[in-house]
Amino acid sequence: MTKEISRKQNRVWILLNSLSLIAGLVLFYGVKIFNWSIYFLLMEIFVLTIFLISFYKAFIITKFWKMLHTSSKNLDEREMQVVLNAIRYAYSIFAIICLIIIYAFAIAEYKPIDVVLAGALLYLAHALPSSIVAWNEDAYTH
Amino acid sequence: MKSRKIYNRIAVLRQERGLTRKDLAVIIGVNFQTVGYLEREEYNPSLDLAFKISEYFGLPVELIFSPKPLKPLSEEIMEIKNRFKGGQ
Repeated sequence: MTKEISRKQNRVWILLNSLSLIAGLVLFYGVKIFNWSIYFLLMEIFVLTIFLISFYKAFIITKFWKMLHTSSKNLDEREMQVVLNAIRYAYSIFAIICLIIIYAFAIAEYKPIDVVLAGALLYLAHALPSSIVAWNEDAYTH
Repeated sequence: MKSRKIYNRIAVLRQERGLTRKDLAVIIGVNFQTVGYLEREEYNPSLDLAFKISEYFGLPVELIFSPKPLKPLSEEIMEIKNRFKGGQ
């Protein structure tokens, strides 16, 4: 029962992390492209705080970030299988997200992919496999 | 390919020897959570890990792992004994 709750709680933190990343990007580009009020940038601080807290709760406390970024020598055969499966799924999801962004930028005729989007994509590339593992597994303890 | 479920007696054997999951995990060289997954039959071990486990418990692999639901060990031993008697 405790395990069930902890996995559910972790799923909530993962969702919050992903949603805050999306919200942060929407607010940033809303101000930049569509000239939304500068007050939206203040909301960005709130969104960034949620993003950082959820990142800490979902990946650092549970050690899923470590699990996905450690050498394979430190993992046993089941963990290796879990990590490789997660990377396989994350690769497909990341490719789809990149394609959607490229098409969206092409349609909007907004040419340069700036450092914010590049940073967000870099984070996503690293966080997606961890999110998939954290979604399906109990906290990683090593 | 979806692999079939492999049943095992790891939990019984571990408890018989008074080991915790962490103790067994250290002995067979895996994370203790993996021992939990093995005991709940949610993960099929590799051949190498299955042999490590059977070597530690000093039992044949087929007595610990089976693709069919396992009977209690005492019942299995009685059957083997009876089979052996019948053969003689």
